[in-house]
Amino acid sequence: MKNFYRKVAFGLGPEDKTPSDPLKWATNQLNDIPEFSWKGKILPEKELRKYYRDYVYGDRKVLRKKFKNDKDGYKREKNKLRHTTGQKFWWNLELCIRHSEAIKSETPVLAKLWYFWGNHFAISEKDFLAQYTTGAYQREIIRANMNQNFEKMVQEATVGWSMIHHLDNDQNIGPKSQEAQWAREKGKKKGVNENHARELLELHTVSPDCGYTQEDIIQMAYIMSGWRPKWGKKRLETGDVHFNPDAHEPGTKIVLGKKYKRGRKSLSAVITDLVNHPSCRKFIAMKLCRYLITDNPTKQMMEPIIKAWEKSDGFLPEVHKAAIEVAFNYSDKNYKFQNPENWLLQMSKMSDVNLIPTPKLMDLYSLGQKPTNGQRSLEHLLRELGHHPYLAKQPNGWSDISDDWMSPELLIRRLVYAKEAFYKKSSKSQTPEFYEEMVQKNYDNPNEILQILNQHKELVHKHVILFNLPETLKS
Amino acid sequence: MKISRRNFLKGSATTLFLAGFNFPVLANTDKKKNLVVIMLRGGMDGLCAVPIIGDKNFEKKRKDLILDQIIKLNSDFALHPKLKNFHNLWQNNLGAIVHATNIPYTKRSHFDGQNLMETGGHIPYSIKTGWLGRGMKLADLKGDGLALALPMPLLLRGIPSNDNFYPSKKRLPRTEFLQLLKSIYADKSEHELANMMEIIANRSMMNNGGTSMSRKNSSLAHKAGLELKKVNGPRVAVFEVDGFDTHAAQGGVNGSHSDSLIEMDSIFKSLEKALGSEIENTLVLTLTEFGRTIKQNGGRGTEHGYGSAIFMAGGLLKQSQVYSDWPGLKRKELFEGRDLNSTIDARSVYASAMSTVFDIDFKRIQKEVFWGDELQNLSDKLFKA
Repeated sequence: MKNFYRKVAFGLGPEDKTPSDPLKWATNQLNDIPEFSWKGKILPEKELRKYYRDYVYGDRKVLRKKFKNDKDGYKREKNKLRHTTGQKFWWNLELCIRHSEAIKSETPVLAKLWYFWGNHFAISEKDFLAQYTTGAYQREIIRANMNQNFEKMVQEATVGWSMIHHLDNDQNIGPKSQEAQWAREKGKKKGVNENHARELLELHTVSPDCGYTQEDIIQMAYIMSGWRPKWGKKRLETGDVHFNPDAHEPGTKIVLGKKYKRGRKSLSAVITDLVNHPSCRKFIAMKLCRYLITDNPTKQMMEPIIKAWEKSDGFLPEVHKAAIEVAFNYSDKNYKFQNPENWLLQMSKMSDVNLIPTPKLMDLYSLGQKPTNGQRSLEHLLRELGHHPYLAKQPNGWSDISDDWMSPELLIRRLVYAKEAFYKKSSKSQTPEFYEEMVQKNYDNPNEILQILNQHKELVHKHVILFNLPETLKS
Repeated sequence: MKISRRNFLKGSATTLFLAGFNFPVLANTDKKKNLVVIMLRGGMDGLCAVPIIGDKNFEKKRKDLILDQIIKLNSDFALHPKLKNFHNLWQNNLGAIVHATNIPYTKRSHFDGQNLMETGGHIPYSIKTGWLGRGMKLADLKGDGLALALPMPLLLRGIPSNDNFYPSKKRLPRTEFLQLLKSIYADKSEHELANMMEIIANRSMMNNGGTSMSRKNSSLAHKAGLELKKVNGPRVAVFEVDGFDTHAAQGGVNGSHSDSLIEMDSIFKSLEKALGSEIENTLVLTLTEFGRTIKQNGGRGTEHGYGSAIFMAGGLLKQSQVYSDWPGLKRKELFEGRDLNSTIDARSVYASAMSTVFDIDFKRIQKEVFWGDELQNLSDKLFKA
């Protein structure tokens, strides 16, 4: 049962009391979205997008022209531009905000589910999204909607600037639209880009299980045509997303057998139908189980989550509570291999490792500076662990299947960074008694574990072994 | 300038059949054969790496990017002057080039293109395994892949238990410590973890006297070469070289595209050196998402294009040659009026290479790795059986 604290959160820290009712402890965290526990600066997405603009504009429109014969000069000035727009700083700040929710907040269960949704609606590595806006997107669109219906999260994520840019919907132009017509007159061809439409169906809502066809994807792309950032000479592709009727495909579209009239409203109408499709709740229930419980979720596991969805009309707090309860019921039977970030946070929380730079240190940063190593420590660490949450390789996000995290180099990183982390612990937590108490509090087989640890004199060895035991790697 | 379509690779199915090329010729040797793939990310400019000689269209469109001191390979094609190591291989019949080739992707997005170059598919993100991983699965090469990168590249997905190497900047625990963890895993019946720990404990390449090792591709290639050389070592290795996306200051001989080409060249050099005589049983191929526009842009760089080139090295090559069904560079010969066309599906080269190195019938690879797509069996033309 103690495994449950690690399964749905990051374990219990030295200050945490063991809850008298673990399930209630967990589900009580899911009703509201509290303020961030990070006490430093937090910037709105819109402002971060301006820095993104300053960078792409400065590079594309200024430096590339100015230094066309001077490779070294170009590199030098581009590096300067990176710093004047905070390119190496913002994502570190976002990681501080993100990780504080796991370690320092009263709602670590909510944090673990936040990471799930951020990865479900993944913004994968493209251009400079990770450096400037992905963290803010996950705050303002994903986390902010975790006490809403799933539908609202889909609606907002779909027309979020990051998602539209990430999945090329800015290049999705109806072949019979006004804009395609203008292009033809100039001898150019413009047409649909199916990317975003396909992912909305496959990854975000109904999944291929629902049996949509290629034609459904194309029709979906027609519905989505015209949704893109407002273009401007100075802001380039970074303007707010709006619906441009000139690029929208005329006519009625049919997706999964249902008709949608042309126009702005058709996108939200089709999303309403998608989220209410039985395949959608089944798919989300499966993914939640796969994230929390096992690589191969069973029908019995998914059933209560689907029921909660149906009863509450996809109200996320209810869906979450159902998922957590299933995780609770299976916490002694199924153990899930933890991805590197969740593993790191578990270690950090339970063994009192101070990983997150202080708000004071982060707020010392000013534009134009090269961030210090201290300010950049989290980004560096996650990259070294092979799991930077803003740098998933594909739109399906980071894998939640164990096999994908089993590679020699990835396991080596857990060994060496467990050791590194040990030296970042406060001295009061560097005692054998501290470890004994932590193991008692967080593991279901404390005696067995302590017996293994007690074969080692040096505390650092105990630490590295504990955080590489199967009981820790899997929760 | 007009070059004839020499080294014509696009035979009709009939001629190929009559020539008997479609029958599986599987000389089953006992030799361990290795396949190395170098992914060139960002769009490698085949026209910069392997320029055509004396083409007026080319010279006109690339005024400021024409290279001095090119290395002439034959009457039609030359080599970028910085590719010295590849040139050495070429002179020893260990280097060849396929030109005007690409994966069947024409939309010029790195993002989608890199996904497709690794999956070998047609629709971005629709396939979750790599063509190399699927080929290895067909050949039953479990545990024989080595990626010189931290996250496993998509290219190798599709077969379990691949190894990867990308040196940590920190010291690895002592071997006894690793053995101890391994025995804990074994006691708890965690076989996969135990297996991984065994690989880690036995990896000679990690032990470098405790100092952290370079992550430079030249040094990774040296380590990989030593591993590939071992009889029980991996049979497949995968590298990544970044930085080919040169929209600005692509420059001439010392431009930014050269920097990335030099890095690729350093892999050839280290591999050759470390492999020693085993280079004879090795095939190295490059892979990129697309080539670059012929016309230079306002920043003396180039934009995303289509056709590119594949570098090939190793003793399994038949001979040093530029293989191409050259499409020409006149406006109407260009893809969408702007890019070098692709006349050979790059996947034909990769499928043929896997057929040769893994000793598997080409048709099986075509069917099971590439979904029966129309590909040509080039094994007998490019490679030694």
